Amino acid sequence: MAPTGTVRVPSDVVLSLVSGTLGHSGPMDTTRSLSPRVRWAVPAVAAGAVAAAFLVPAAVGAVASDDLPAVTADELVDRVANAEKVPVSGTVVYTARLGLPDVTVSELQGAGPLDLLGGSTTMRVWSDGEDASRAALLGDVSEYSVVRSGPEAWTYSSADDEAVHYVVDPADLERYEALADEAAEPSVEGDVPTPSEAADLALAQARIYTDITTTDPVEVAGRSAYQVELRPQTDGTLVDRIRVAVDAETSVVLRTQVWSVQDTEDPALEVGFTDVSFDAPDPSVFDFSPPAGAEVREVEVPLPEPGTMEKPGSEALGEDAGFAVSGTGWETVVEVSDVDVEEILGATAEGRLPEGSTGSSGADDLLEEFTDAEEGELPGIPELDTQALYDQLTTPVDGGRLLTSALLSVLVTDDGRVLAGAVPPATLEELAG
Amino acid sequence: MSIVDTPVPVAPAAPARATARLLRSELRLVFGRVRNLVLLAGLAAVPLLIGTVLFVTQSTPVAGQGPPFLDRVTGNGVFLVFAALVSCLPFLLPLCVAIVSGDAIAGEASTGTLRYLLVVPVPRTRLLLAKAVAALAFAGAAVVAIAVVGLAAGAAYFGVGDVVLLSGDTIPLAAGMLRTLGVVGYVIASLTGLVAVGLFLSTLTEVPVAAMASTVVVAIVSGVLDALPQLSAIHPGLLTHHWLDFGEFLRLEVDASTLLAGLAVQGAWVAIFGALAWSRFTTADVSS
Amino acid sequence: MTAGGPAAEPAVRTRGLTKRFRSGQVAVDHIDLVVPRGAVYGFLGPNGSGKTTTIRMLLGLVSPTAGSVELLGSSMPGGGPVVLPRVGALVEGPAFHPYLSARANLERLDAVDATASPQSRPGRIDAALERVGLTAAAAKKYRQYSLGMKQRLGLAAALLRPRDLLLLDEPTNGLDPQGTREVRALVRELADGGATVLVSSHLLSEIEQVCSHVGIMSRGELLAQGTRAEIAETGTTEVRVMTRPDQRAHVARVLTGLGLEDVRVDGEVVAAPLGGTAVEKVAQAVVGDGVDLLGLEVRRPTLEDVFVRLTGEGFDVDR
Ligand SMILES: Nc1ncnc2c1ncn2[C@@H]1O[C@H](COP(=O)(O)OP(=O)(O)OP(=O)(O)O)[C@@H](O)[C@H]1O
Ligand SMILES: [Mg+2]
Repeated sequence: MAPTGTVRVPSDVVLSLVSGTLGHSGPMDTTRSLSPRVRWAVPAVAAGAVAAAFLVPAAVGAVASDDLPAVTADELVDRVANAEKVPVSGTVVYTARLGLPDVTVSELQGAGPLDLLGGSTTMRVWSDGEDASRAALLGDVSEYSVVRSGPEAWTYSSADDEAVHYVVDPADLERYEALADEAAEPSVEGDVPTPSEAADLALAQARIYTDITTTDPVEVAGRSAYQVELRPQTDGTLVDRIRVAVDAETSVVLRTQVWSVQDTEDPALEVGFTDVSFDAPDPSVFDFSPPAGAEVREVEVPLPEPGTMEKPGSEALGEDAGFAVSGTGWETVVEVSDVDVEEILGATAEGRLPEGSTGSSGADDLLEEFTDAEEGELPGIPELDTQALYDQLTTPVDGGRLLTSALLSVLVTDDGRVLAGAVPPATLEELAG
Repeated sequence: MSIVDTPVPVAPAAPARATARLLRSELRLVFGRVRNLVLLAGLAAVPLLIGTVLFVTQSTPVAGQGPPFLDRVTGNGVFLVFAALVSCLPFLLPLCVAIVSGDAIAGEASTGTLRYLLVVPVPRTRLLLAKAVAALAFAGAAVVAIAVVGLAAGAAYFGVGDVVLLSGDTIPLAAGMLRTLGVVGYVIASLTGLVAVGLFLSTLTEVPVAAMASTVVVAIVSGVLDALPQLSAIHPGLLTHHWLDFGEFLRLEVDASTLLAGLAVQGAWVAIFGALAWSRFTTADVSS
Repeated sequence: MTAGGPAAEPAVRTRGLTKRFRSGQVAVDHIDLVVPRGAVYGFLGPNGSGKTTTIRMLLGLVSPTAGSVELLGSSMPGGGPVVLPRVGALVEGPAFHPYLSARANLERLDAVDATASPQSRPGRIDAALERVGLTAAAAKKYRQYSLGMKQRLGLAAALLRPRDLLLLDEPTNGLDPQGTREVRALVRELADGGATVLVSSHLLSEIEQVCSHVGIMSRGELLAQGTRAEIAETGTTEVRVMTRPDQRAHVARVLTGLGLEDVRVDGEVVAAPLGGTAVEKVAQAVVGDGVDLLGLEVRRPTLEDVFVRLTGEGFDVDR
């Protein structure tokens, strides 16, 4: 049970408290006849009750839920992969303990994707189960929203009152309609992770290089959930294990947790629902139009050509950028050469955002999904001094600058190569030569 | 025990009636005091000042700079209410709460009037309750004053219109007014914990200034602790942590559980410090 | 809970009443105070002897470390809500809100009284102000009051309603001679109306003029208590013989010869406690011995004599 000792109080304390509040109910004012010791027990009881009220639900929440029919790990992965899309809405809490220097700027800047680098962030998500979704990253009195509806998407940051409108390139629109597939939705800078996106990336390649087991069922956001655990078979990676909690009824991923080898107690990354509903959200949620007076930017997004899904848009990284992958599975390291770091930093500072580089295979996908801002792409934060941030996040090493975090290492060499992977920094330095 | 032998008939009014009379007297005391009225006027002047500066300089602050909502004020006067509340929350409102709640018991003790109240007699629990309600009423009046003056000044300087939420969606002015009411209510409720703390500190001393100052310190320390990421584990329980959650009223869908979480934390502070104040006040010797 | 009528039950009774402050000081030490109904009780004691602390305990402001208090037959502090409306009190001087007028202050005290009817409030307040002679200054802020006016307002508050018991801690402090006299008259008037009055003071002459009963405190202890006559009897009656300076030594010898003890020359007189000796005998002996008797006086003990004898001559505060 909760660590709250029991404090015995005579029942007449409560009674006399009431009568004391109302005044003398009889010839004798009972409140004045209580001993001081009994009186001082009242705050102790109040504190105990408060502790119980706040701690017990938390403790109970962690306890395994009722009996669910047993499911094997393989079945569970299949269920997730083949789950029917259902409408989902709720509150998602994202917590990162990446061990990065603190660059939380939401107090100054309002809510934005950069919040995801560290600490805890709350998001509200809505999805109609088809092609419309909305996610809002909540700041104290600010919000960063990503609204997708079919071939168009909006981001809106309340702090700068700026909206960005993404539409599929008209040339590609026909193809988009033919595809009508979620995989083809326009990619948005500074997208917001959801538990299922995180899990999809991990589960997609789960059966290779990975031990998959199930753990006892858990309760997440008040729902019974199966939980599958993924452990890399190698120890050449920073990832210790990943746990994915899957709603027993709808097979929707409710929570994904990633542990780093550096700390096997608290997950380095955790994204999960704290509150979830499977009722269809009001359609007006997905119907966004920018507020009057807001600055609106239009961005046309070309649909990726089939087959190029694996490659980042190299033009974003510099004209002559080359691209190579070494290692397999969890030890995959991505190497991009001829990157002009100075130019990217400069471009970002001016608000010209390089295109994202998500989509390559390997464990770093998952990590990049969360940390893509680390590579100098800082959407939605035009005023931020990216050079300073870059200096703050990275440390100088022999022949370049190194970014280390609990789950991801990135090495930027002086000769313009960038190496990244969910591997120890030494692996990168070795590869860089 | 009977009162057969008493020439003076003693027929106490119904407790509820007596409490109401006491409360009225307390309210008159709090709202009749010049110092407190000056305080109220000072707080009400904040939105007026912000509005006037923005109007005279005719410059919209750059988005993302200055306090939240400031950049919205020139477009829609309603936001002057929010900008003023955000400006007052870190210091001025806690100061206002501290002055009234810290003065509640310690002030009576320092003038010596406490002993005469108690021999009237006024039951100590009832007195404490009336003091708490009066202090909260004053804090509420301060918030309402900021909101009303903010709205009036905002409307006069910049006009009012449909309200753009934090999510970027636009809602009609009437709905915006309802949400503003919600904001005012939530901010008032957010101050209850500090009222309880101030009341407790007020029972500890006969020097009102000491109680007031330490109440302000509690609010400020809470704010400082809230800003230290190393202490994120205790942040949700801090007195001031949920104060800015009034922003919830300006989101697409107002999430009751977020608001209730903030109110629950205030409730916890009220329960603990209210109980402490009660224990202290009903057992203390009145030797002032 | 208590049996018997008003005559049987004293207005104030304490048993073993003790207060030890957290500083460790015992301000009141096992006192058994008995104030009969209808009495005017003079509560005497040097500075710091524990009078105010006792009164605070009677009223339930300070909780006793040990012992019990009964006020008008109800035990305190539990009986406070019932009994306190019948008790008027002035504790350690008046205290009011400085920025409120005298009337507003009284209005507040009356308004918070659950047993007072709001309808008759203005009348009560006028009467109380009238009684202490403050009607003309009722609208003045308390802050602007003089010391004596403040004291009067304190009395007015104690007299807001008809009281069965008045506990007045130094009621004449700061009053002018007229005010002092008025307070004395007031106390008599209250007593005549059947109320019991306990007046604490160190102005002995004042007490002496109005009290029927006396209690003497020193260092937290109640050294003596009873009717004024009973207390006076505990003092010594003195015979004082006036004669020419050269015959004083002779007179002293004569008195000693009569069996009087502690004979002393006190300025121009020769004095000695009379003890059981008759005054006529002293006169006969002195005259018969050829002394020129210029005068002879029998001095009955004053309260001050008893007070000083009991509490000591020392001026310094004991604790
Ligand atoms: N709150 C307190 N804490 C500690 N000691 C106290 C307190 N109040 C009174 N005393 C001590 O108790 C003793 C009695 O004080 P009290 O005020 O009862 O005396 P008093 O007889 O009323 O004196 P005076 O004639 O000067 O008014 C004093 O020595 C005083 O120092
Ligand atoms: Mg005294």
